[in-house]
Amino acid sequence: MSDWIKRFLPFVSLLALCVVIAVLEPRFLSAANLASVARQTAVITIIAMGMTLVMVSGGIDLSVGSMMALAGVVGAFALANGAPVVAGVAASVLAGAACGLLNGGAITALRIPPFIVTLGAMGVYRGVALLITDGKAVVGLPPRFGYLAEGNLFGLVPVPLLVVVLVALATQFLLVSTRTGRYCYAIGSNVEAARYAGVRVAHYRIIFFVLLGALTGLAGAIESARLVTGQPTAGEGYELRVIAAVVIGGGSLSGGQGSVAGTIIGALIMGVLANGANLLGISSFTQQIVIGAVIVLAVTFDAFQRRRLETAAL
Amino acid sequence: MASLAPALEMRGMTKLFAGNTVLNGVSLSAAAGEVCALVGENGAGKSTLMKVLAGVHQPDAGEILLDGQTVRFHRPADALAHGVAMIYQELSLAPHLTVAENIFLGREPISFAPLGIVDRREMNKRAGRMLAGYGFKIDPRAPVSRLSAANRQLVEIARATLEAKRVLVMDEPTSSLTAHETEELFRLIRDLKARGLAIIYISHRLEELKRIADRLTILRDGQVVYAGVWGELSHAEIIRHMAGRELKEIFPARQTQKGAVRLRVEHLTRAGKFADVSFEARAGEVVGIAGLAGAGRTELVEAIFGAVPADSGEIHLDGARLNVRQPDRAVARGLGLLTEDRKRTGLCLNLPLARNLTLANLRALVRGWRLERRREREAAREYIERLHIRPPDPDKTVGRLSGGNQQKVLLARWLFAASQVFLLDEPTRGVDVAARIEIYRAINKLTEAGAAVVMVSSDLPELLGMADRILVMRRGRLVVELDARQTTQEEILRYAAVEEGAQAELEVAVQHFELTSHS
Ligand SMILES: Nc1ncnc2c1ncn2[C@@H]1O[C@H](COP(=O)(O)OP(=O)(O)OP(=O)(O)O)[C@@H](O)[C@H]1O
Ligand SMILES: [Mg+2]
Repeated sequence: MSDWIKRFLPFVSLLALCVVIAVLEPRFLSAANLASVARQTAVITIIAMGMTLVMVSGGIDLSVGSMMALAGVVGAFALANGAPVVAGVAASVLAGAACGLLNGGAITALRIPPFIVTLGAMGVYRGVALLITDGKAVVGLPPRFGYLAEGNLFGLVPVPLLVVVLVALATQFLLVSTRTGRYCYAIGSNVEAARYAGVRVAHYRIIFFVLLGALTGLAGAIESARLVTGQPTAGEGYELRVIAAVVIGGGSLSGGQGSVAGTIIGALIMGVLANGANLLGISSFTQQIVIGAVIVLAVTFDAFQRRRLETAAL
Repeated sequence: MASLAPALEMRGMTKLFAGNTVLNGVSLSAAAGEVCALVGENGAGKSTLMKVLAGVHQPDAGEILLDGQTVRFHRPADALAHGVAMIYQELSLAPHLTVAENIFLGREPISFAPLGIVDRREMNKRAGRMLAGYGFKIDPRAPVSRLSAANRQLVEIARATLEAKRVLVMDEPTSSLTAHETEELFRLIRDLKARGLAIIYISHRLEELKRIADRLTILRDGQVVYAGVWGELSHAEIIRHMAGRELKEIFPARQTQKGAVRLRVEHLTRAGKFADVSFEARAGEVVGIAGLAGAGRTELVEAIFGAVPADSGEIHLDGARLNVRQPDRAVARGLGLLTEDRKRTGLCLNLPLARNLTLANLRALVRGWRLERRREREAAREYIERLHIRPPDPDKTVGRLSGGNQQKVLLARWLFAASQVFLLDEPTRGVDVAARIEIYRAINKLTEAGAAVVMVSSDLPELLGMADRILVMRRGRLVVELDARQTTQEEILRYAAVEEGAQAELEVAVQHFELTSHS
């Protein structure tokens, strides 16, 4: 029964939140507003897909905010120097993947906990982004690039939303219907048991960090397109929002749990919360307090669930 | 007055998990100074009943009386406060703390009372004295993570004896102990009885119960099918009550031809654990490895598997050198290790049964990129059927299966992986008599199909019944190879016993097995 609650609690919360906001402020449900919610949450959701992989496998990555900025400016440099849009986006994705490889490699080769490695990396990537841009925004991006963030497919579907859907479908397939996904849960659930079952633990952990990096790079490109500049200061505090999305959606800080659908709902809860607060004229300071409280609630719930399972496993 | 009521009485205990009745009106009583044996098949509800007593689970109906007084335990701390302690089936120590810290957890001796500073020296001294008094050779300052499974179990026992004032529950305390330590435990139990504790003792080893039990309660499918004084029923009758049917031949006969050498180990050495170990296992053969706890048997098979690699020496699989630093290489070459510690290195406890079962051979279920979940469930069903895993639900969270059923899932993992050389470390740990026979049958099928099996076991009758040859390890060295058809438990133990004090150790051990050998 409690499994059932755990599965549907995030969804029910999201629904309740939407209803409350819609009652207080009917503009919430307007097509324009919903499209803007989608655009605002797209970047967080894309990174959160990758974070789901990393966290289900028992890891964590605190460097995604900085990494996104770095990948964003790398892509922006390419574009400012005349590269076609596709190449610019590819440059961001590759830069992110390289950062992920660095994180995953350091964690597995040096056997240092992900928390520590990525805490360090958070500073390093931000520093590199500021260094190569001299602290200034990269300008001169082609106007067509803006389509990635502001465009509408068939004049209806926001392009970032489309990207989110594609990324989510791919992540869902990976996590549920492939060997890699199985190993992801197994490693997160009990890394020693996975190793004793013949799973190449280090190999897969690196893969998850690289995938997170690539998705963070993609998000960086979208963020640059939204700002129409490459900002070395972009993405500050995003790591917290991304991790919160995963945890609110049922992911566990100790691994072995989490799902694509849950994470999307988690990201939406945060997005809707922010949007609703704006519509209702609640200050951004209050918003921070509310979001912080929601995170603590979600983690508490997770800890409570885990204690139950541990009792069962005595 | 108090002496008229039994120390412990449980009446009409009923417990449901997700709508399934696991306990159905179970009553049980135990008097001070008595050992009450609790037996039943895997999944009968023994551990659940005792966890209700220990305050881990809340009953849906029924009451608990201590010395005639009704009590309610909402959490384990409540039970402990009433002097009711339990040694759990699965180990529950904090691995990063030392032995002494674990024993005194929450009860540390304090110096400078107002500051609450833990007096480590005093704590180590007391823990050391206590362990030595019990005859356990364990350093109180060692971190628990470095101890063998057997020594961890002994630490759990020591801790529980501190907590138990009235009732002590032992859930399969000997499943990871060898003959010698079992003997120490029995001596301890006799002391505890004399101190007036009521002891409830769960075990699948009837030979063992025979030596200590005063009363007997048999559970089947969550109900008491027999309660009485120990000795009224013969072993055969007890087994019939547990299984609800007649069981024959414990060790099924095997028809196999020995074939080519499949596994050859040469001069394998790991500093401080084992040295210069060489042996081979042929197709169709079961090679047993005997030895006391700490002889290096588990470390040896873990090294062959690559989980904790050896320092030197060679391993050959089907004639080709196997150079393993990680288990993945060994698994890919057809080696499987059934680990001794299913909670730490065996199962992903929060994942479903089916996913644990298929983990070592997902390759077989993949077509293109896609993992075929339908085939996974079919495969899981097949092995659930073959090994009688209960409940037969592929989606059940594996951590919620009973201990013996978890063990069967692990064995099924390697059967499904179609391994060719099996390293089985205590394969029937915690498994009931009926399921044991299934496991022995499965092993026989494997060897008949040309697999080689290396079986580490502390259960000597099992080694004698199943193995072709028995290798005896002592302090990290192979001391002798015995023909299983010719040797005896006494001979094995004579080789296994450590030199110094060997005579005394031998005597208790031999005495133990004279009393416990299958009739
Ligand atoms: N936390 C739980 N949630 C759901 N079902 C459970 C839980 N704990 C135990 N069960 C179920 O209750 C039944 C009895 O389990 P229990 O652990 O008491 O058996 P047992 O008699 O101790 O068996 P074994 O000899 O294998 O240790 C099993 O079918 C098991 O799957
Ligand atoms: Mg049990």
